[in-house]
Amino acid sequence: MEQEKLQELSFEAALARLEEIVGALESGTAALDDSLALFEEGVALVRLCNGKLDAAQQRIKIITEEDGAVVEKDFDAPAG
Amino acid sequence: MDIDVRDMRFPGALTVSELNQYIKDLIDVNPPLSDVYIKGEISNFKAHSSGHFYFTLKDAQGALRSVMFRSSAQKMTFMPENGMKVIAHGRISVFVRDGTYQLYADSLDPDGVGALYIAFEQLKRKLESEGLFAQEKKKSLPKIPSVVGIVTSPTGAAVRDIIHICRRRFPYAKLVLYPALVQGPDAPASIAAGIAYFNRAHAADVLIVGRGGGSVEDLWAFNTELVARAVAASEIPVISAVGHETDFTICDFVADRRAPTPSAAAEIAVPDTAELKQKFLNIVSREKAVLLQTLERDRQRLLRSSTSRSLRSPMHTVEDRRMAVASLAQRMDPAMGRELEKRRGALAAAGGALGALNPMSVLTRGFCAAFSGAGQLIKSVGQVAAGDEITIQMTDGTADAVVRSVRLSDTIAKGS
Repeated sequence: MEQEKLQELSFEAALARLEEIVGALESGTAALDDSLALFEEGVALVRLCNGKLDAAQQRIKIITEEDGAVVEKDFDAPAG
Repeated sequence: MDIDVRDMRFPGALTVSELNQYIKDLIDVNPPLSDVYIKGEISNFKAHSSGHFYFTLKDAQGALRSVMFRSSAQKMTFMPENGMKVIAHGRISVFVRDGTYQLYADSLDPDGVGALYIAFEQLKRKLESEGLFAQEKKKSLPKIPSVVGIVTSPTGAAVRDIIHICRRRFPYAKLVLYPALVQGPDAPASIAAGIAYFNRAHAADVLIVGRGGGSVEDLWAFNTELVARAVAASEIPVISAVGHETDFTICDFVADRRAPTPSAAAEIAVPDTAELKQKFLNIVSREKAVLLQTLERDRQRLLRSSTSRSLRSPMHTVEDRRMAVASLAQRMDPAMGRELEKRRGALAAAGGALGALNPMSVLTRGFCAAFSGAGQLIKSVGQVAAGDEITIQMTDGTADAVVRSVRLSDTIAKGS
């Protein structure tokens, strides 16, 4: 997978792909060249996932009703 | 006529209903009987389609017909059952039509164990028989949720704990809180509405439903059928997190996962970033190991094939052939030697003849040959110019020379 395409992947999709790769590698059916490519992709995915985790900021929303419509608003957690 | 006569003879006679009404009036104005608690065991219990309950309270020696009208029956937290020991409250009055007195009950409380306990056991039994607690009904939780839905009070300790744990473990997930009432008469409907909201809006990957600790009454909403049914109907996996470790609620049994506390629910709901990263590391090293294993396996395979009979036998043939050639050569040698000698003699003779034809052999007779700087034999004055460096070859060596001038021979000049 190309680098740019990789960046666009969501965390969940990247993880799913990573699991797919590990599965393919472990089944041992891939040709050696393919295995190397898969390995490289796997490493890139791990880097991507780690990066996303590092960059994550928790968003906390609260469901409220405004003018009859249900909306999500930022929620300030009670201090504790 | 007879009747008239009797009336004349018993002027004070009452009709049945007059008597019953008289007794009813007597009883109804008797204060203790209009506000009475009665201990007994329920029998002949019947929940009529009208909503009224009919039953008999009895003890070893006696029985008392009882009725509880719908308005009171609706408020019961548990369903009365035959054999249940209760303390009933109500008033005693007469049912004029049948001439019987009975208890008009407005509340029943279990004698011995608490009403809530009985209600809990009853609902638990009911839902269990419907298969709502079955293991195969339990949905598995997502490994990596992007959105965690929370149904609890926005001001309680529970939401604070959940947010705190999620923030520490996995800030990647978005948290969405549905602010619900978690105690009081409106709590069950509020909690059920929250669960329904997330399902309708597909707004979460996993739900945490619960509240912090409190008395049994405080936690009661999570023991109601309304909440239990909402949890059971949820397409989104539900983690139940009510009170402390020791508190078990119906909601816990119906949920896909029970967490002992709201904090524990958060730990169940989201993975730990550090662990996740470690897992990634493991994945990479596992990938590496697999690759190395594949390489090693391929190499072994190659080794096996290269030493197998199929590859070895052609090698043998080659060896065999080499041996054959060698022995042939050996046998050939003497004959070949003779033949070679003969040829070599002929060759030497021919060589001698060839030597005579060597252009350079004339040099032995005193001729010289001149070569240009590029090593070409100079055969014409046209090939050289004054100042050219040339090499002169004699029979026993060479001399380097410089051309001073170039003259064309007269004879050749005239001839051309």
